[in-house]
Order: sequence, then structure tokens, then C-alpha cells
Amino acid sequence: MNFWLLVVVKVLVVAGAVMLPGALLVIFGELKISAHMQSRIGPYFAGGRFGWAQPLADGLKFMQKEDLVPAAADARVYRLAPYIVLISTVAIYVIIPFGPDLTARDLDLGVFFLLAVSSLSTLGVLMAGWSSGNKYSLMGGLRAAAQLIAYELPMVLAVVAVAVQAGTLSLGGIVQAQAHTELFGANIHLPYLITGQLLGFLIFTTASLAELARIPFDMPIAESELTMGYLTEYSGLRFTMFFLGEYAGMVAFTAIAATLYLGGWWLPGLSPEAGYMNVVGPIVLVTKVLLLSFLFIWFRWTWPRLREDQLQTLAWKWLIPLSLANIVGTALFKVIM
Amino acid sequence: MTDSPSDRPEAADGGTARETAPDAGSANASAAAEIAGRVAEQVGATSWSADYDTAKVYVDRDRWVEAVAAARDGGLPFFSWLSAIDWSRQVEVGESVAAPDDLEERYEVMCRLSSVTDASAVHLVTSLPKDDPTIATLVPTFGGAEWHEREAAEMFGITFEGHPHLVKLYLPDAFEGNPLRKSFALLAREVKPWPGTVDVEGMPGATGPSTENVEAAAMEGGEE
Amino acid sequence: MTTRLDPTVAMHLSDAAVSVELETPEMTLNIGPQHPSTHGVLRLVAKVDGERVDSVEPVIGYMHRGYEKLAEVRTYAQITALINRIDWVSGFCNEVPFVIAVERLMGIEAPERAQYIRLILAEMTRISSHLLFMSSYPLELGAPTPLMYALREREHVMDLIEGVTGGRFHPNFNRVGGVKPAAGGGSSTKKVVQDLPSGFFDGTRRAMDRVDLVCDELDTLVTGNELFRARTVGVGIIPPDKALAYGVSGPNLRASGVGFDLRKHEHILPYDDIEFEIPVGRNGDCFDRFVVRLQEIRQATRIVRQAVDRIPAGPLQAKVPRILKVPQGQCYVRAENPKGEMGYFVVSEGGRIPYRVKIRSASFSNLSILPWILAGQLIPDLVAIMGSLDFVLGDVDR
Repeated sequence: MNFWLLVVVKVLVVAGAVMLPGALLVIFGELKISAHMQSRIGPYFAGGRFGWAQPLADGLKFMQKEDLVPAAADARVYRLAPYIVLISTVAIYVIIPFGPDLTARDLDLGVFFLLAVSSLSTLGVLMAGWSSGNKYSLMGGLRAAAQLIAYELPMVLAVVAVAVQAGTLSLGGIVQAQAHTELFGANIHLPYLITGQLLGFLIFTTASLAELARIPFDMPIAESELTMGYLTEYSGLRFTMFFLGEYAGMVAFTAIAATLYLGGWWLPGLSPEAGYMNVVGPIVLVTKVLLLSFLFIWFRWTWPRLREDQLQTLAWKWLIPLSLANIVGTALFKVIM
Repeated sequence: MTDSPSDRPEAADGGTARETAPDAGSANASAAAEIAGRVAEQVGATSWSADYDTAKVYVDRDRWVEAVAAARDGGLPFFSWLSAIDWSRQVEVGESVAAPDDLEERYEVMCRLSSVTDASAVHLVTSLPKDDPTIATLVPTFGGAEWHEREAAEMFGITFEGHPHLVKLYLPDAFEGNPLRKSFALLAREVKPWPGTVDVEGMPGATGPSTENVEAAAMEGGEE
Repeated sequence: MTTRLDPTVAMHLSDAAVSVELETPEMTLNIGPQHPSTHGVLRLVAKVDGERVDSVEPVIGYMHRGYEKLAEVRTYAQITALINRIDWVSGFCNEVPFVIAVERLMGIEAPERAQYIRLILAEMTRISSHLLFMSSYPLELGAPTPLMYALREREHVMDLIEGVTGGRFHPNFNRVGGVKPAAGGGSSTKKVVQDLPSGFFDGTRRAMDRVDLVCDELDTLVTGNELFRARTVGVGIIPPDKALAYGVSGPNLRASGVGFDLRKHEHILPYDDIEFEIPVGRNGDCFDRFVVRLQEIRQATRIVRQAVDRIPAGPLQAKVPRILKVPQGQCYVRAENPKGEMGYFVVSEGGRIPYRVKIRSASFSNLSILPWILAGQLIPDLVAIMGSLDFVLGDVDR
């Protein structure tokens, strides 16, 4: 097939078949799960008894809103910011393996690409906060910059440990490594969560919660203090892009966590070379994504938010030393075993 | 129960004709009198009274801050509130005093201090002449007096000397006048002078105010 | 080349500039009057340096309705209808000290049944006000779930209050001499004195059970929550001497270690026959203020249960002339409002309307400590501290 045609098909598949439905499903899950946790029902009107059409209805509602650019805003930067956040999130989907042959592009530097691209969103958030011409947005943007930069490091270091254990930076390779590494010489294959990366998993999950700016790390938004922080002035379609970017990011990061630590599209007991894995694999991965998303949603509705200095203390004084220790431990383990 | 020197004109000749509630009242009444007497001694007051379980101690304007500080040190550390009463013969709206001719026109500034171990409390009262409504500030003694004094200043036009930030508290900055003074007219009364009925509407179909609203009907028709 | 900005536009731009030495001058941030966390229309003009607040000047008066001037042109019964709107979250409790002050001036005492009804409704109002605090305070810290749990049970209490008084927030149920004797209005029903609605006592007992259950839930979800403790323990400590100097009262004062509750000392309602405890905190931080209120809800359910068992039969209102004329005199009566000490100083010159009514509202004094306590705090702590003081702007501005 023509190379460029293939690229277009892949982009459409990634955006249309993976990101959008995934994000909408997680949004709907958040609405319903949070409702039941709060002894409410959640949406029950749009789309019949279960309100499954609520996210679509919200999307349509946002699209028909007025496109406001505040008079004091720096218009070009203001308009550009949502795209940067959304694109940097969607770009992660390119390297996620859904099956042995189902990756949009299995880069050899997969992990490196992932971390580099996901940190672009920091720039988008800072742009949004500064360009809105609003003191609350500015504070939200500054808080976001500090938080996102602080939590990049534990994430990178946690992923380094996985790369050390797998011996490769490619995400498809990491899944294959989990499927093929024998446990103490026996023919048992287990995901990295169990074979030594439990601490790494916890660090990665905490860091990705912070990268997504979800409670308990939602200082940049902090609804009760900053009235939506860097998002205050955004409305309509631009807000939808941020909103979608947040949930697309959640799906992406949980998929990455599932790939790195839980075995991705592979389950212990299944043969990774079997032909049916191209059909079963996506189902397995989606299930893991939904389970982790449930965990993230649960955290959001249970805990209050951490204060900025507590957040920074957690990152610098706890997560980074722990993740360094994790790397050393993994390396020792790899050498000795 | 009251000492009444000649310079205290308000008719608080309590205790004789008034009967307070049978059980709890009399216990409290004597408690109030005890407190009032004790505090009056501590602060060197001119007089005191304790009607209706409300202990009031009257001090001179020049000794205001010392009196309040002495009361505080004498076991009443809780600063409850500070406010004023405008005693005027001529009131723009509302009812005037019972005996306007005997009234000495003044502003009465009162400050309430109470205890946090029992129910003792006292009102320290001082009088300011109408032509010179100034008094020393209590802010160095009680930090909480700051807002109360700002409110009294804007509502009555009293100046608290030494107050760190005597600007309006409730009212907009450009507001003119002192609303709680008896000479301050209400806008509604420009149209319908006192005691005509304003803001009282009858039920649908009725000719006048609702018969349930006895007081309003009485006010509409009645003289004092 | 510089562009001149329109002054109205320039007003909104941040005035934090970065010079070569990275000295950042302070920024003036307006928190409010419309803001999710200011409990109403409160404006704080905060001078902030990054996240740290250097000084705060509260600007109040947006809810000022002129109650004290209004009271000089309203009869006593009309004032009773107005004053439950001062602290609108605890409507019933606002009426009690005022009617008792008028009763004292007139020398009448409410019959015992009326006093017990006042006590029961006052405690239910306390439960309702504190449950509202339970729901809104974790929300300000970022935990949205306790809101639903607390408000769910508050509905039961509000239904009971509505069943008796006819109003959820503005009961207008107290009358000089007792409580409203007829549940309906109009002269035709006056001949039949209606008492409390049937099923009230059973409904109350059930509601108190549910409130106790939700207190346990909130204990687990909020008090035991590590992140909640991280945000509130040690934050916003009010030392007891400062609290006394500023007139801070109610749960805020008790959280600072001063175990003073007007229900035990002022004998205006029959609390002496009822066993209950006063929760007292230790440190005076936000966490203590939260826990004191949670414990007060539990004590309030205990009080209500005992009162419902003890309530005697009898009339609901003492004999009072139709047109009230209150003899000359000055009287101050205070009560333990859920927010703190609320009192009315009534000056009567022997007529149908008072000469002066001074309203001592709890939130006014509680709020006056803000400039002192917020200086030097971080902005998230500012929100935490303001929320923990539990003030209502209607109470502040009157």
C-alpha cells in the first residue's frame, strides 16, 4: 500500500477507533461510577435508561457554544494551546501495541518517544494559563508547570527500570519480554508487576495521576480555589479539546501502564505467537485499561487534593529516591538472576 | 437594685414593677447584679444596673479604655460586641422614646465582655455628646474591636480615635449619611411618612392588609 | 515599539513582572465576591507572592440588608419573621434569643412544651447546619463525595423541620410566649389548636438513627482520610487568647481548647434536664474544628432523642395580648447558634416596635479574625481555613 495512504489510515484508526471511543467510554464510566459511589444514579436520560449518550450529548453541547477569546488574552497562543495538549496526548497512541501485529508504529525507541511526547503537554498547559489574561489561569498554569515537571522524573525513572528488565525500549518488545521471560528457569511467565516491578508500578501510577492533573493532584485546576485554573477562560470546542485530551490521556497512560507492568495484550497462560492473539489481544488490553481507569476514578472521588508543597515533597523527596532505588534493585536482580 | 444619680436619665427603675420569670429569672437576676457590682468596683464606674438579667456598668468617656481593660483583666476576657444607641427626641421613622422631654440626647456606646467559664457578662456603657461623638479606640485592648468600631463609625458617625483603619465596613465607599441615626430617613418613608403602611400587601381579593397581620393593621389605623 | 493597552483591558492583566534579579513584586488577587469557596458574597483582596498570601483585606457588606434599621420600623412579630434570614442555614436558631428577650421584657415565660419544642427544633437545626458544613468543607478541599452523603441525611432532618414549621430554611415558628400554636393559618382553624404533626416523634427517632450512621460514614471517609488530615492538621491554628480577643465563638472556640458552650450556662431552654457532652478540641487547627462539629452532630442526636422522650404535654403558647406592647427596658439574650454565640440586645421604650435592636451575630466575629490568621498562608490553606470557620455571609452582613 502507498506509504502515505497507510499513514492516513493508521491516524484515522488511532483517532477514530481507539482514542475517541476509549475516551468516551471512560467519560461515561466516570459519570456512572462516581454517581454510584456518591449514592446517586448519574445520567439516566440521554440515550434511554443508562444515559449512555450523555458524553455525546455533552460533546454536541460544547460544539455549539460561542467561541470566546477574552479581550485581554494573547489570541494566537490562546488558540494554539488546546491543540498542543491534544496532539501530544494522541501521539502516544501510535506506539501502544494492541496485539502482536497491531501497533500503529512499533518504534525501537518506543518508551523514549512516549516520555518525550507526553511532556509536550506541559507546554500547552503553560500556554493556556499565561495567555488567558486572568490571574487565576496564570496561577493554575504555574502550578501545572511545577507539578508536571516534578512528576516527569519519577515516571521516567520507573520506566527505565522496566526497560532495564526487558532489555529493550520498544513497547512491543517489552510485552514479548514479559511473555517469554522464564521465572527461575521454570516455564512460567508472569507480568512485570509480579516479577519485581511492584514499586515501579506504584510510582508510575502515582506519576501518571499527576501528569493527568487528576485528584489528588489537581492543583492546576483546583476548582474550589482557582475556578478551573488554566481552563477558566476556555469554552466551547476549545474546552472540549482539553477535556477530551484529559480522558484520552487517561486511556493512553493506563494502556501504557498495562503494557509495561501488566503484560499488555498478553495474559499469562496464553501463547503470544498464536494467531488468535490479534483478536484476543485488544480485548485483554482494553479490559486492563478499564480496570486501571476504575482505580483512577475511585481515587478521584475519595481523596481531597494535595497542597502544592505536599505534592512537590511527595515527588522530590519520596518518589524520585524510591524510583532510583528501584532501578538499582532491578539491575542487581537482572545481573544476579 | 439600681443606683440612680441625677445624670442618668433613662428610666431603668427595674426590679419594682417588672417581674422576671419565676425560677431561673431570679437566680440570674441576682447573678447579674453581683457581676455588675463587682465590675463596677473594678473599673471605678459611676453607676450600674442589672434589669432583666442584663448587667450594665456606666463609665465616663475619659476612662473608657482603662475600664474595659480592667474588666477584661478582672475575669471577662471574651469580647462579644461593641455598638451604640442613638438617644434622640426627634426620630425620623419609628417610635420615639417614652418620655422625650426628659431625654438627654446623646450616643451611648456599649461594649459587652463575657466570661468563658460561666455565664457572667457585663455591658460597659459610656455616653457621648451629640456635638462631639468621639471616643478612644479599643483596638489595642481587643483586636476584635476593629470591625465592630468600623461598623459603629459608619452607622452612627462616631469617631474612634486611634483606630488603625477607620473606613466603611458595610456601606459603599461613596455612601453619605449614617443610617442608624434616628435622623436618617428611609427611602420608603419619603413617599409614605410614618406611621403609614408600606410594604404590606393584603391577600388577593381583600381590601386592605391581611387580617392575620394584626400588627400591621393596628399600625395603619392606630396612633401611639 | 510599545502598544498602548486600553486601561480597562490592562486592569485584568497580571501585574507580576520579572526583572533580571527575579524579584517578583506582589500581585493583588481578588478572591470573590463570586468564588466557589467564599461561602457567599465575600471579597478578599489578597496580596499574594506566588502561592503565599502576604495580606488579606476582607470586603464585606454585599449582603447587608439593614436588619437593625428594619427592626426600628417593624413590630415584634414582624421582626420574628425577618430574623431567621440572618443566618439562613440555621433559621430556627436565629429566632430563639430574640423572642426570649422580648418575653423577658414582658415578664412572661413560655410553657414547658413550647420550650421543649424549641429545644428539639434548635438541635435539629444544629444538625442540619453542621451537616451542610460536612458536605461543603471536604468539597473545598477537593473531595466531592462527602457532599452527597451528608446532604442525603440532612434531607430527613429538613423534612421533619418542614413538617412542623412549614419551612425548611425560614421556619418563622417562634412566637412571643411560645411557638406557633396552629399549624395552619386563618381564623377558622384557630379554634382547634394543632400540635406537632402525627408521626413526628417516630420520624425523629428514625432520622436521628440515620444521622448517626452518616456520622460514622463521614468519620471513615473524611476524618480517617490521610490526605484530608494532611490538608487540615496543623493548618490555621487559632490560639485561645486570640480567639477570645476577637470574639470567636461556637465550635471554633471549642476547637481551640476553650470548653465553653452556652447551652450549659445560659438557661433559656431546658438543657439542664438533658445529658450531653461538649466536644472540645486541642490544637485549634482546621482538623479540630471539623471533628468538633462532627461530634456535635452526634451529641445533638443524643439531645433530640432525650428531649423527644421527655417532652411534656401542655399549651404551646402563653397568654399574650393580640397587639404586643413591650414595656420599657433593655435586655440582652444570647443562645448557642450552630455558628457560635448569637444574641439580641433589645431596647424597648414601651411601644409596639423596639427603639433599637442590636444583633450580635456569630459569623461577624468569627470572620474578623481572617486578616490576622490568613497573613502568610498559602492559597490552598486560605481556602481550608476559611471553610473551617464555617461562616455564612448573611450572618456576617446582617
